[in-house]
Amino acid sequence: MKVLKRIGVALLSLLVPGLGQAVAGAVRRGFYVFLGTSILSGLSIFVAAQRARFPEEVYGTSARIFFILLLSSFFLLVALRLIYLALIRRVAQDEILYRVGEGLFLVAVVVVFTLAGPQLIERVAPPQAERLLYMTLLLVMAVVLAGLWLWNVQDAWRVAEGREVSWNGFIALVLLGTLVLGTRVVGIDLPKAIREYRETERILGDILWPWRAAFDYKATELRATAKVQAPCPPGSTPPPVNQPKEGEPWVVVTPTCGELSVRDEKGKLTYGTLLTIRGGGFVPGKKVKIKWENPIGNEFTPRGVGPTEIEVGPDGTFTTQLYIPDVVIPSFAKGPQIHKLHVVQPGALEFTGKLSREMKLALQAMLESIMIGLMATFAGMVFAVPMSFLAARNLMFNLRTSPQGLVGGVFGLVLGGYVGWQVAARVGSMLGGIEKAPVSVATLGFLLVGGGAVLGFRLLGRALDRLSQRLPTWARAAIRYGGFALIGAGLGWPLGLGYAHGLLAIAWGEEQAAAVATQMAQIGAGLGALAWLYLAYRWGEEGPVYIGQWIYTVTRLILNVVRSIEPLIWGLVGVIWVGLGPFAGFIALTIHTIAALGKLYSEAIESIHPGPIEAIQSTGANRLQTIMFAVLPQVLPHFTAFSLYRWDINVRMSTVIGLVGGGGIGFLLIQWIRQVQYEHAGLAVWLIAITVSTLDFISASVRKRLV
Amino acid sequence: MLRVEHLTKVYENGTVALKDVSFTVEDGEFLVIIGLSGSGKSTLLRCINRIIEPTEGRILWNDIDITALNEAELRRVRREIGFVFQEFNLVERLPVLLNVLAGRLGYVNPWWSLFYYFPKEEQERALVALETVGLREKAYNRASDLSGGQKQRVGIARALVQEPKMLLADEPVASLDPVLAHSIMGYLERLNQERGVTILCSLHYLDLVQRYATRVIGLRDGRIVYEGTREDIRRMTDEEFKQIYGEEAQRLGA
Ligand SMILES: Nc1ncnc2c1ncn2[C@@H]1O[C@H](COP(=O)(O)OP(=O)(O)OP(=O)(O)O)[C@@H](O)[C@H]1O
Ligand SMILES: [Mg+2]
Repeated sequence: MKVLKRIGVALLSLLVPGLGQAVAGAVRRGFYVFLGTSILSGLSIFVAAQRARFPEEVYGTSARIFFILLLSSFFLLVALRLIYLALIRRVAQDEILYRVGEGLFLVAVVVVFTLAGPQLIERVAPPQAERLLYMTLLLVMAVVLAGLWLWNVQDAWRVAEGREVSWNGFIALVLLGTLVLGTRVVGIDLPKAIREYRETERILGDILWPWRAAFDYKATELRATAKVQAPCPPGSTPPPVNQPKEGEPWVVVTPTCGELSVRDEKGKLTYGTLLTIRGGGFVPGKKVKIKWENPIGNEFTPRGVGPTEIEVGPDGTFTTQLYIPDVVIPSFAKGPQIHKLHVVQPGALEFTGKLSREMKLALQAMLESIMIGLMATFAGMVFAVPMSFLAARNLMFNLRTSPQGLVGGVFGLVLGGYVGWQVAARVGSMLGGIEKAPVSVATLGFLLVGGGAVLGFRLLGRALDRLSQRLPTWARAAIRYGGFALIGAGLGWPLGLGYAHGLLAIAWGEEQAAAVATQMAQIGAGLGALAWLYLAYRWGEEGPVYIGQWIYTVTRLILNVVRSIEPLIWGLVGVIWVGLGPFAGFIALTIHTIAALGKLYSEAIESIHPGPIEAIQSTGANRLQTIMFAVLPQVLPHFTAFSLYRWDINVRMSTVIGLVGGGGIGFLLIQWIRQVQYEHAGLAVWLIAITVSTLDFISASVRKRLV
Repeated sequence: MLRVEHLTKVYENGTVALKDVSFTVEDGEFLVIIGLSGSGKSTLLRCINRIIEPTEGRILWNDIDITALNEAELRRVRREIGFVFQEFNLVERLPVLLNVLAGRLGYVNPWWSLFYYFPKEEQERALVALETVGLREKAYNRASDLSGGQKQRVGIARALVQEPKMLLADEPVASLDPVLAHSIMGYLERLNQERGVTILCSLHYLDLVQRYATRVIGLRDGRIVYEGTREDIRRMTDEEFKQIYGEEAQRLGA
């Protein structure tokens, strides 16, 4: 009876992993087993069924192969397991022996599959050499999965038996399966990496030690020239024969007049006049090269007409023979032409000590990168400092107002912003509009709109707060309810529009969504007003409204969103905005810096001692005074440290941003890599490494001193 | 005159630090608040100048309801109430002089002060206050370079330049040695006697209480459990003190 139950439970688990355990009473265990097994199976099948990475991977449905492998390994495992169980029954009930037996069983599995694996794979789909790895991975995946399944069946059996059970096997198998899956997904191919390493050696060498390319070299060469006339019609006067000279290289060519070799269409050469060449005054023991210069001044090495590299004798002389090479004469040339024969002996490259053009370029670009980083850090700081105060919990959380004050503040914000906008528009058009004076108009607009909004917020907020204290209750209620309804409507309207254009447009298409946009906006405004009316009711006339918390939350949200977008993405935005170059990189880094520094700064503010703030407040200081006296002195060293740290990061980042066109050394680096100039790329890499580690060191030691 | 009426403070985490506390302090009194650690002394003092917001009750000072003031009005009241802290609460990175001048922030032109600029006469006033506490020669040192006792004297100088009508002192000598404790308390006493400044001071040591207080109130778990005059305290034995105060009571012994 009991045995029947166990068999039933095991069968259940064979069908659905974990079901048997659950039926046997271990519901939670069954759930985990089900979860683990099904996730791993699902992933395995998904990965196995993925289309091949390479076009020649013509196995088609690798999922089918996988299933065959899975089934085969399952049966193989079952067989092994049964054999093992039968053996171990005989041997002992002893715990230690049992453990040893398990280990032996695992060894047996590995051995059997190592032996049987290739056969198995061969049966299912004969692999080409480079596919072997892939097939092996599939096989291991199949074995692991089959093992997991089997483990689950046996586990159900044991649970039903009421024996003690452990998770060890499960965890090990799941871990192994995940690793194998990972290998396949990442495409880790160790054999390939080893096979093809050698090809990267030269490039790696160039990049790792590029310093030869950092300098200019002067090539000193010995050179002697003789003139030869061709063709050689009777009656013409050939150039004179050279005479050997003492103390300098010389060459004597005879005759000085002859016929060119001719090469027909098939490339067959008919020799012209044979020249005898004698030379001297060269460095003994080294080779000289013979070059031919045609009448229009093109120098080349003659081919197929005799030796062009000759060993110089111990006395510095040599003798050789050469047919006059085939030379394509320009069509306008008529009659005899004067050619030149050069004998060249390249000397050692002479170190000039001057930087090469590329090195200078790289240095310039490096400076550019450092400056991009520096400027972006400064610009980021300018914006990050005020934002960080708004994003500091300890400064903002006690900022509150009455609901009436909130109404005044919001209306003041809108009104002030609007007035600022109007004024900016007027003054801006007097200055000549955004086209003519973009910077002054934009700055003006920014200051006026921002200033107007802040001013309106403060003035009207305070005014209404105070005024309403003198008004009768019904008037206060009117301000509150009316104001809140308007605020709610004002917030709801754009939300409604956004819903129509953003979400509905996905399902319905842009046009249909646009048709209902106004309605949606109205609905949004209505709902917003209702919600805010409820708030007005709930908060009552005292409130308080913690606007500080709202400002804090919104600022934090903005900072977090901006920060979570990589500078590389901002770099792309920058390039689209202002075109390729350092300015784009600057914009990208500035945006990211504002967010990153804003967060760091605000955390520095949050970690200051509250004592001095209380002390300064106790003297009757206002908010700004409290910040200047109690907050700023405490956070300044941290701000400096974070800014330095950010500069360091920004320089590093600016090299990366250069890769997408943001200027600086990254820009140069990617160009050189694309032009296969690895030595020059190596220069850039080295400069980056040196700069970054130097900055890192400096900023680290300065920071240590500051904080 | 300071009147505290039914003052209750419940912290955000639900701790009831003060419960229905009412008492009156006449101008020129030296009121000492005693009580166990955690009994609500700091909370009480902080509520009076609203560094923390009272939950319920009123605080009337010369018939102004401090609890009902808006921010600007509160600032005007605060500048006339000095506060001396147990942990001094100096701005460590600023020079001593600026720490003292901070006491004038409620009076001077706020815009200039943002650039740490103070008119000549204000600087003079600060130097005089430093002279009073015997620290004139340290005026240009960083506050962090001072010893504990010196820091507390700077804290008192900061309160002095406020020309306060009332001084709240939250365990001003708790982290100082006995000799220093007496010298600091001496400053407070002089302020009280020579300038008629009302003083509310929380203390731990019985002998200090007996030596300086004109009146005492005892707090326990946020309630007033004892009120006594100068004479009551002088007559009080250690045993009685311990009864109100708890086992932690001790003598400074100097
Ligand atoms: N910011 C706070 N948030 C929550 N609870 C607080 C806070 N500050 C104090 N408390 C609690 O309020 C109670 C009174 O604290 P308070 O600091 O006023 O005591 P105290 O008498 O000044 O003690 P001590 O002698 O140790 O300074 C204590 O139980 C304390 O834990
Ligand atoms: Mg305290």
